[in-house]
Amino acid sequence: MASVLITAIKRLTITAAPTRVYSSVTNSVATVSNSSLDVTKKEWMFPPAYTKPREVWIENMDSVEEKKLGLFELHPTVFASVPRIDLIHRNVTWQRKYRWISWAHTKTRAEVRGGGKKPWPQKGLGRARHGSIRSPLFRGGGVIHGPRSGTTHFYMLPFHQRIYGLTSTLSAKLAQDDLHLIKNLELPSDEPEFLKDLIENRNWGPSVLFVDDTDIAPRNITVATDALPHVNIMPVYGLNVYSMLKHDTLVLTLAAAERIEERILLLLHAITKDKEAPFKLDQV
Amino acid sequence: MGSRQITEKSLSMLRSLPRISLSNLRDNPGSKKTSKRGRAQHGGDKHGAGNKGSGQRQNYMRLGYETGNNPFYLRVPQEHYYRGHHLRRQYPPLSLLQLQHIIDKDRVDINKPIDIASIVKTGTYNFYPDQKHFGINLTDEGIDIFKAKINIEVQWASEQVIAAIERNGGVITTAYYDPHSLYLLKNPKKFFESGQAIPRRMIPPPDAIEYYTNPENRGYLADPDKVSEERLKLAQKYGYQLPNIESDPEYSMFCERKDPRQIFFGLEPGWVVNLKDKFILKPKDEELLQYYSA
Amino acid sequence: MEWLGSTLLKTFWRPALNSVRTRYHADKTRLVRRYGYEEKLWCGGLLPRTLGKPLPIPEYRPYNPWTEKRAQFGQNDYIDILGPGDLHPVKTLYSVPSWIRGVHGKEYHILLRKKKMWANTGSPQTRPTKWKEMEKRIGYLYRKLNRKTKSGMSNE
Repeated sequence: MASVLITAIKRLTITAAPTRVYSSVTNSVATVSNSSLDVTKKEWMFPPAYTKPREVWIENMDSVEEKKLGLFELHPTVFASVPRIDLIHRNVTWQRKYRWISWAHTKTRAEVRGGGKKPWPQKGLGRARHGSIRSPLFRGGGVIHGPRSGTTHFYMLPFHQRIYGLTSTLSAKLAQDDLHLIKNLELPSDEPEFLKDLIENRNWGPSVLFVDDTDIAPRNITVATDALPHVNIMPVYGLNVYSMLKHDTLVLTLAAAERIEERILLLLHAITKDKEAPFKLDQV
Repeated sequence: MGSRQITEKSLSMLRSLPRISLSNLRDNPGSKKTSKRGRAQHGGDKHGAGNKGSGQRQNYMRLGYETGNNPFYLRVPQEHYYRGHHLRRQYPPLSLLQLQHIIDKDRVDINKPIDIASIVKTGTYNFYPDQKHFGINLTDEGIDIFKAKINIEVQWASEQVIAAIERNGGVITTAYYDPHSLYLLKNPKKFFESGQAIPRRMIPPPDAIEYYTNPENRGYLADPDKVSEERLKLAQKYGYQLPNIESDPEYSMFCERKDPRQIFFGLEPGWVVNLKDKFILKPKDEELLQYYSA
Repeated sequence: MEWLGSTLLKTFWRPALNSVRTRYHADKTRLVRRYGYEEKLWCGGLLPRTLGKPLPIPEYRPYNPWTEKRAQFGQNDYIDILGPGDLHPVKTLYSVPSWIRGVHGKEYHILLRKKKMWANTGSPQTRPTKWKEMEKRIGYLYRKLNRKTKSGMSNE
């Protein structure tokens, strides 16, 4: 009974939350003071069925010290799904392998130069019979079963395994407090020291990946990250499992988080027969 | 994926575990099986090549070869029942049951005429025009539970199927599309992106004309008056009351048919569809208009 | 007197006798072979720093996991999911030559594809030996795969 009451009160407080900011926001710098937190409630095209949305703090980027600017809701299907370590592993393996071509090459006895003449007569010398000085038995001869150039390791991971790889990694990052939300990528200065201090002050691990919705990041952050090789910026379409795991912390802008949600939810609810079909070279 | 409790539990477990990174990942144990060559006393004996003879020497003979016997596949004399089967038109089936499923799951809009493009778009039906597939054959499986009222255009239909659709107050047409038009209907987006003008639909080949001009088959080239006559006849034959579609509120939708030269509903031959800027280019040149209207 | 002294010594003092059953290797004196030969190779310790040039050792280059290429590794691999949806990740593998991009197969199939795509270029004329060797290899693999192996057995 008591628990029912508590949940009812919780619901009340949520519904009575002050502002409803719909968050197809805004790259403008909104300096929100700490006293008025804005709580973003979202209405998704595919609302979560049995789980509550995850609430995440929106953090500031204009000072080294952390300030909480508000709360933001993330869709549990994308940001709180089962963290399948095996799927993450398969995704990383796929990312490494599908682009990997081994150019190692050895020559066979047919390709090594020379070796056409019989080195010595078949009989009468008391020596072993040989037909070519480029036989694999000879020093400087051809190689059998050696690597041949252009060995591919290409395969495509099934479409939904790749989607669930993304959701698993995002969920694991969020569960381990390695995913942070910021309003936008605006920094007050282009000093790399500032960004370094900010990262250290907030305990964001040394390496950080910033993800934004747009292709072009603001000038200050690009200059600052240029000097820090372990701090990188990526557009949403470049986000991938490997980079998320290589960097300790993932920092998403609100627009980026929304875009990720939108794309993944759309594909999870769409007919994707053409994408699930086995990979054919002429399809791409 | 996974129940809610499992999800919450595993996520809360992760909070106290080290950070997942590239260095501490692994697949499920036992998920990969590496094949090994047999070793030890008898493991390495023959390596699967068998004992003695052709097999051991790994002399792999071509398929069907029986070491000099008259092979099985040549022993039976040829009989030409199926001569030319690879040239005949094929109509991959779609059953009424499947159609009802599609409608029940709301994967197709029944307030508009249904054609092969909208069926393919549901993702439940596929066909390959290059493999001599000429469209949908609507079959009678699930005929007893079919309850939808639709205006559908297929490429082949039997008498019972026509009766089942007309008993519910629906309309069915059989129409011919040439392979090129079927390519367009199968993937309209790809065609529109190519920036070409929509072509005309070809008229059926001589051996198909008879089927598509026959009002019994609800052919698209048949005389409409004769078709309505046949509708009545079929109702009498199967013993059902033919619903009066003239009084139906959606009568105009049920009257919609494609022109015999038209491929897409609402788009005429000669038009160019721009998907990016969302507009349609229509030809104005007299010569072009004459060509496309002919 | 002398004998008396010695007998007395023998009666009163007897030396302790230990029978030696084992001789340890370390206790043995080594047989010096080729006595007088001066060894020209250095056997004395770690590196012969004093005699002649130092051995060539590769320059130590520490692994940098954050070069631009490594930091960006994997970018755009999910572009068909997170992007606008009209680009396949295979299309973004710009660093891979086009004739092998997104190809999966054994050596024979890759060579066939390579031959098909290179036939219309200047390659047969400009690199005739390479071209001839590729055709030789294709012929060899054709015979091997079709006449000497079960299908699906060989790795070539």
